[in-house]
Amino acid sequence: MKNFQSRHLVFLGLFVLIAVVMLIGGGSEVKVSPQTQKMYDFLDSLPRGSVVMVSFDHEASSLPEIRPIAEALLRHAYSRDQKLVGVALMAEGTLIGYRLMESTAREYDKNYGEDFVFLGFKPQYVAAILSMAESIEATFPEDYFGTPVGQLPLMEGVDNYQDVAAVMSIADGSFTTHWIEYGRIRHNLTVIAGVTAAMVTTYDPYLASGQLETMIGGLRGAAEYEQLIGVPGGGGRGMPAQTASHIYVLLMIVAGNVAWWMSRRKRDA
Amino acid sequence: MPDISTIIAGVLTLAILTFLYRDNPIYKMAESLLIGVSIGYTLVIVWSNTLMAILFTPLFGDGRWLLTIPLLLGLLMFSRFTPKFSKLSKIPIGLMIGSGAGIAIPTMLEQRTLKQMSATVSPLVLESGLPDLAAIVVLAGVICTLSYFYFSRERTGALGVASKAGTWFLMLFFGTTFGYTVMSRMSTFIGRMEFLLADFLRLTQ
Amino acid sequence: MERRIALAVCFGFGIVMFLQYFSSLPEARRLQQAVAEYWQIVFAFALVVGIAGFVQANVKASKDSKERPYRIVSVVGFAAMPILALVWGLKAGSPFMWVFENIQVPMQSTVFALLAFFVASASYRGFRARSASATLLLVAAAIMLLSRSAVSEWLSSWLPDLADWIRNYPSMSARRAILVGIGLGSLTTSLRVILGVERTWLGGSR
Repeated sequence: MKNFQSRHLVFLGLFVLIAVVMLIGGGSEVKVSPQTQKMYDFLDSLPRGSVVMVSFDHEASSLPEIRPIAEALLRHAYSRDQKLVGVALMAEGTLIGYRLMESTAREYDKNYGEDFVFLGFKPQYVAAILSMAESIEATFPEDYFGTPVGQLPLMEGVDNYQDVAAVMSIADGSFTTHWIEYGRIRHNLTVIAGVTAAMVTTYDPYLASGQLETMIGGLRGAAEYEQLIGVPGGGGRGMPAQTASHIYVLLMIVAGNVAWWMSRRKRDA
Repeated sequence: MPDISTIIAGVLTLAILTFLYRDNPIYKMAESLLIGVSIGYTLVIVWSNTLMAILFTPLFGDGRWLLTIPLLLGLLMFSRFTPKFSKLSKIPIGLMIGSGAGIAIPTMLEQRTLKQMSATVSPLVLESGLPDLAAIVVLAGVICTLSYFYFSRERTGALGVASKAGTWFLMLFFGTTFGYTVMSRMSTFIGRMEFLLADFLRLTQ
Repeated sequence: MERRIALAVCFGFGIVMFLQYFSSLPEARRLQQAVAEYWQIVFAFALVVGIAGFVQANVKASKDSKERPYRIVSVVGFAAMPILALVWGLKAGSPFMWVFENIQVPMQSTVFALLAFFVASASYRGFRARSASATLLLVAAAIMLLSRSAVSEWLSSWLPDLADWIRNYPSMSARRAILVGIGLGSLTTSLRVILGVERTWLGGSR
């Protein structure tokens, strides 16, 4: 253990803290933020049977954070009988997106082809977004499984963004920006988003200007949404550990500054 | 007892976590496997979802012979592996760069600049006659932050004051972003811990 | 000669994509559709070329005996995926999907999860309130962290509202200014690229 350093103590502290909190378990109600409420109200306000495009614009690395967000939003959409068209603008989002749509669909007895479809992945996201504005079928001639899109009952009458009530971008990066900027060029596409917490401040200006209709972010956003739809999930389960980790980081900041200030005093003395 | 899939996923998760102590052969082996598998995955998805679906099937199946143009341009990309003809790969790159730049001009102007500026300029006084603090803060924040990034003049006088104020707004932004980034990283780790404790080690539900 | 052709292609496609934005004619929309399709196909080939480069680099690096086991594992992992997809397909429950879900996803998300530890370590060793502005940064971060945890309402009823106010107004305005700056910069760079003034993408000197 000759390589043991002070930072390893910090790592160990975090690991043990999270493990203990998760083993103890528990949870509590969280106050729902206005933005999360707005997302809920928006999806609730869509007429039943509206077509919503769900774009999985994330990598596998952020799945632990993205999954609770995506599941909460998909569950709400399915419960409202929205018709979901899944696409992926990142290669890794392809399989993950399909699995998320399919697993949550089973909870609501939704059928592939009628209630939800998954069209797969297209590279070069700008070209894909621009292309779907003209024709979704030309962009995705087949779905992920190779079935011609024209043969899918859900896709009848869904030609381009004019036939889509909104696009829901599930993102861990800047892809939602591209939906906002390139998707709204001609069709004034309504964009809503479920993003990782790290991307929340990136989209705040678009929220404020109305270019992004609404957004939920991070595990807290997922916990709030699960509360609203009344279905527990990973968001609520993770909140005690999330709280503990936040307090731990704050303590580290305070401890680091106290240690630095004391060493400075000693040096000055 | 967890199933074989969970055991494999758990062992690989622990292999990656060994990096926290230090770089070691177990971590390197896992990392090498990850790189290889993820690149192989990308190849399969790109081939099946793109090249087959929008190139080869319509070209050879439906007779859309105009698609030989992008096919030839795409094949030109491979010329970069031959020193003699590598410059030919610039031509398809030109298509991608030019297309992106062309659509970016009106999009950046409309969606990123004009729409954001129009959202910034709003009435500073409410109907009741009271000042709209939020609108004043936003307008001041945008102007002061833009002043901070203006380097074509010496920062004296009004510009100096504005750019100093811009620093404060930027600190608030960076602090907010840092807080949310910490949340995000912790969430990812919490997700992995949930897998280890519940699925792999079966210590909790 | 190739550089000139590449510049001409860049100019041509750039002008087409720029001008079609201002037209609602069906022909313009079809042209945009066609360019977008070509763009995606060429990009897909670019990805394949990158992948071929990866294989080439690994084969070359495997000559070093220290690196060889890792390179072999990389190449075997890479080769396995298309073979699995070809033989058993991509459907749910296929070996291809199994490898993705039980090997790639767990490892990839764990690599990302390591950042949590480094953030905690950086919080102790790096974040110093050396100046008033640094202190403001740390205070803002503390407010955000507390407000987004389960204890926020327990600590104070105005903490979540304060955090939302900071995020929605002063923080957002700074981000907006950065966004506007990036937008203007992207605009001018795109113009320079189309007109051939900016040639760094060609490689070599002007």
